[in-house]
Amino acid sequence: MTTFIIRRVVWTIPVILLVILMTFLMMRQIGGNPFRHTERNVPAAIQKNLERKFHLDRPWYVQYAYYVKGVFTFDLGPSMSQRTRTVNDIVKDGFPRSLKLGILAYFWAILFGVPAGILAALRPNSIFDYFAMLFSSIGFALPSFFVATLLIYYVGLKLGWVPTNGWPEGFWQFDSRVLLPSLALGLFPMAYFARLVRGAMLETMQQDYVRTAKAKGLRYRRVIGLHVLRNSLIPAVTATAPLLGLIITGTFVIEFIFSIPGIGRYFISSVSNRDYSVVMGITVLTSVIIVIANLFVDIMYGVLDPRTREAR
Amino acid sequence: MALLEVNDLKTYFYTRQGVVQAVDGVTFTVDKGQTLGIVGESGCGKSVTALSIMGLIPKPPAKIAGGQVLFEGQDLTQLSDRELQNVRGRQVAMIFQDPMTSLNPTLKIGTQIRETLERHFDMSRDEARKRAIELLDEVRIPRAAERLDDYPHRFSGGMRQRVMIAIALSCSPKLLIADEPTTALDVTIQAQILDLLDELRREHEMAMILITHDMGVVAETADDIAVMYAGQIVEYTNSLELFDSPEHPYTEALLGALPQLEGDEQEIREGRLTSIPGRPPDLINPPEACRFAARCPYSHYEDSCTRVQPELREIRPGHLVRSAHPTTERAGEREKVEV
Amino acid sequence: MAVDRREAALPTAPPAVGAGATLEEPSAGAPIAQASLWKDAWYRYVRNKAAVAAGAFFIILVLYCLLIPGFWKIPGIWTSLKDYDPNHVDFSQSYAGFSLDHPFSTDKFGRDLFARTAVGGQISIAIGFAATFFILVIGVVYGSISGFAGGFIDNIMMRFLDALYGLPYLPFAIITLAIFGTQSFMAMTVALTIASWFTSARIVRGQIITLKENDYVRAAKAVGARWYRILVRHLLPNTLGVLVIAIFLELPSVVLGEAFLSFIGLGINPPTASWGSMAQDGRDAFRLHPEVLFIPSLAIATLVLCANFIADGLRDALDPRTRETK
Repeated sequence: MTTFIIRRVVWTIPVILLVILMTFLMMRQIGGNPFRHTERNVPAAIQKNLERKFHLDRPWYVQYAYYVKGVFTFDLGPSMSQRTRTVNDIVKDGFPRSLKLGILAYFWAILFGVPAGILAALRPNSIFDYFAMLFSSIGFALPSFFVATLLIYYVGLKLGWVPTNGWPEGFWQFDSRVLLPSLALGLFPMAYFARLVRGAMLETMQQDYVRTAKAKGLRYRRVIGLHVLRNSLIPAVTATAPLLGLIITGTFVIEFIFSIPGIGRYFISSVSNRDYSVVMGITVLTSVIIVIANLFVDIMYGVLDPRTREAR
Repeated sequence: MALLEVNDLKTYFYTRQGVVQAVDGVTFTVDKGQTLGIVGESGCGKSVTALSIMGLIPKPPAKIAGGQVLFEGQDLTQLSDRELQNVRGRQVAMIFQDPMTSLNPTLKIGTQIRETLERHFDMSRDEARKRAIELLDEVRIPRAAERLDDYPHRFSGGMRQRVMIAIALSCSPKLLIADEPTTALDVTIQAQILDLLDELRREHEMAMILITHDMGVVAETADDIAVMYAGQIVEYTNSLELFDSPEHPYTEALLGALPQLEGDEQEIREGRLTSIPGRPPDLINPPEACRFAARCPYSHYEDSCTRVQPELREIRPGHLVRSAHPTTERAGEREKVEV
Repeated sequence: MAVDRREAALPTAPPAVGAGATLEEPSAGAPIAQASLWKDAWYRYVRNKAAVAAGAFFIILVLYCLLIPGFWKIPGIWTSLKDYDPNHVDFSQSYAGFSLDHPFSTDKFGRDLFARTAVGGQISIAIGFAATFFILVIGVVYGSISGFAGGFIDNIMMRFLDALYGLPYLPFAIITLAIFGTQSFMAMTVALTIASWFTSARIVRGQIITLKENDYVRAAKAVGARWYRILVRHLLPNTLGVLVIAIFLELPSVVLGEAFLSFIGLGINPPTASWGSMAQDGRDAFRLHPEVLFIPSLAIATLVLCANFIADGLRDALDPRTRETK
């Protein structure tokens, strides 16, 4: 198990390098450097100094090496549109908000999606099953900005139950303002979990070892709770990492609609300001998060399914 | 009183295509410490019979449509789920065909043995663990104490079947149902597992129902044998009698399909096996006639058995057969034709 | 990211007992078997009511998008013809609400949304199919090289895919748009392709690897068929089934991706409408006039829902695994 984890962790490093390289090369294609074509009027000498300071006079692979060093020392460089701030400042500002939003979305998804999937699988073709799957199909099809605006319009404006913008500042601070954004973001993963868990449960219940468990006279609770659930939650766990990619994409839109100053909102404003160091910093950051989430999920998979530990 | 008495058991599958009469009026008894062999082709309902006794048929689509399963006088088909759970594993245990899929891949072997003990006995974790080691020893798994913490994928097929046997034996049940316990195993290991099963059965004074499609398997171990065909018992008698003088044409064919190691040297060298032409009938709306009629070499279209189903009748004391053309009566028929 | 949406649509439940069990075995001979495979699949698809309804709805939606902009000019169908020009601005009709004249109401500029939704749908669906096409082409090339080559090359190529698996597509799509410097049809298509081809490559590779083990492929090898003949004659035609399913798995995620980009202001250049850019138009005033946002959103949702059900139906009809159970 330990060797498996070590090998998996070591493998993450070249992956992160590759992801940074891809982002780096793509950003270079946009052309120009941050200090050449801005609106600022910078004297030629200072321009030279700036370029030297940020290694822009060196070949691209040296720049890449410096950038990688920056990423690994948690230094993402200066912002191009906001002189006084670095990308780090912006991330420090926005990331906790986005993180809170994402975690809450996952929370709703797991809280409602997983039990819905389990109950649907325990009573297949029941009314509940049909409703859960209908709901899941709809949740799959609705674009998140539509869900968000529907919630704002009906729950926020028509019913007036909760405020429709603003965001509690502290990371551990929660109030009614978090409800709509996190629910809007959580609907898709909720639908996803419900469907995934239901399918996995139905498949597991057909397995021979579940029949064995019943033949041993185990109580229904233990058969379902241990033998069925344990094996059918594995796909749900492995799904969390790729789902994270969707959640991140979702935060961009949801933060935009609810005016939450998270990294997604910074990202979009940076795109329109052509603040490429922020764009690149946030892209690299989210990609690294995904890579690490993949790592985590693989290790979890190894813990949950002993067969995979030795297979690799 | 017999340990297990199955009376006119009917298990039907209610599918979109129609009602599949998988088990259609099966009756047999198993006495204490006795072994009953149930033999038949795949799809003849022998496994469904076993699962019906255990109450493990998949509902829906399956349902017990009639009959009784009397275990020590108690009708198992009438028990609630919870009451049935107290019987399973404790009074009646079961071993399945494919040991590769019958153990939960994500739980340690020890856990899977222990949970049965902890369920049926008031045992602590440590006591259950100790007992689990003894059980693994008993089924001859080497280094039992270490292997308790291994996962199933570290075991070979034969070893896994031994683990399944250990689980089945753990609560010293009175009846063990072994559903094709050796079919998925290598030929060399088959014999070991069968010997082990028989030996442990004697030691624990259990009764056993051994289900197989292989006449050779039941020949050695079974006291009584029931031959099943298309959801019904077609011949039912004790083992010696069956092999000495089979009555049903189907049983004859099955025995003919067995490689013979005695007898005509010529035939042995050629390794000739008789196969039975044709297929069993569809169990959705099965024919009114004898279900074997279409494949029976002795059945003629003017015979009553092509219109009416023959009853299971006692042709000799303790020898039941369901055929219009049992061997002993056929001898007479042939003479008649010759005259 | 997009990857999941597709995988989630993969098998959820084992087929019901006896479902599809009554079809006859295909008769001997490869060409006949091929023909009857698609015929069988068609019969199975038609029996699935949800999939048939979704397919019909999908066709109606596409026809609406294609035909309405062409027919708005025909006299006598509507009273005030000029209102049905999708780009006709008439401030007197600003937010006119639902009426017979404007069955889907109008937007801020008084443009008729019934016509505009149809035109927007053309763009959304066109980008959807174009990007899906590129995704599948890249997927087939990458997947078949990887699966067919096997060994070291396969290992490297799959490691590369694993590394990129699950990356959020939005930032990369946005960077791609920045590289193009414009939000043209082509730029949008490339941007949406770039982070979405991984799944199709995986699907094709998986299929190729399974097929490679088939006896008829081995037989072809044994009689000395060249590798490209094996690939083109024996392997690729048999991936057609999964590719047809993949179209309806990719399409919704591309359409949603386009909508996301448009919604945050990175959509196709105005005045060209797409469903996403129409939703963006409706964004600012949706607290007062939600219909301007809801109508294109509903159109997207309908398309995605239909495509998901079609993919489900196709999978049940074509998937070799469910086919074997008969």
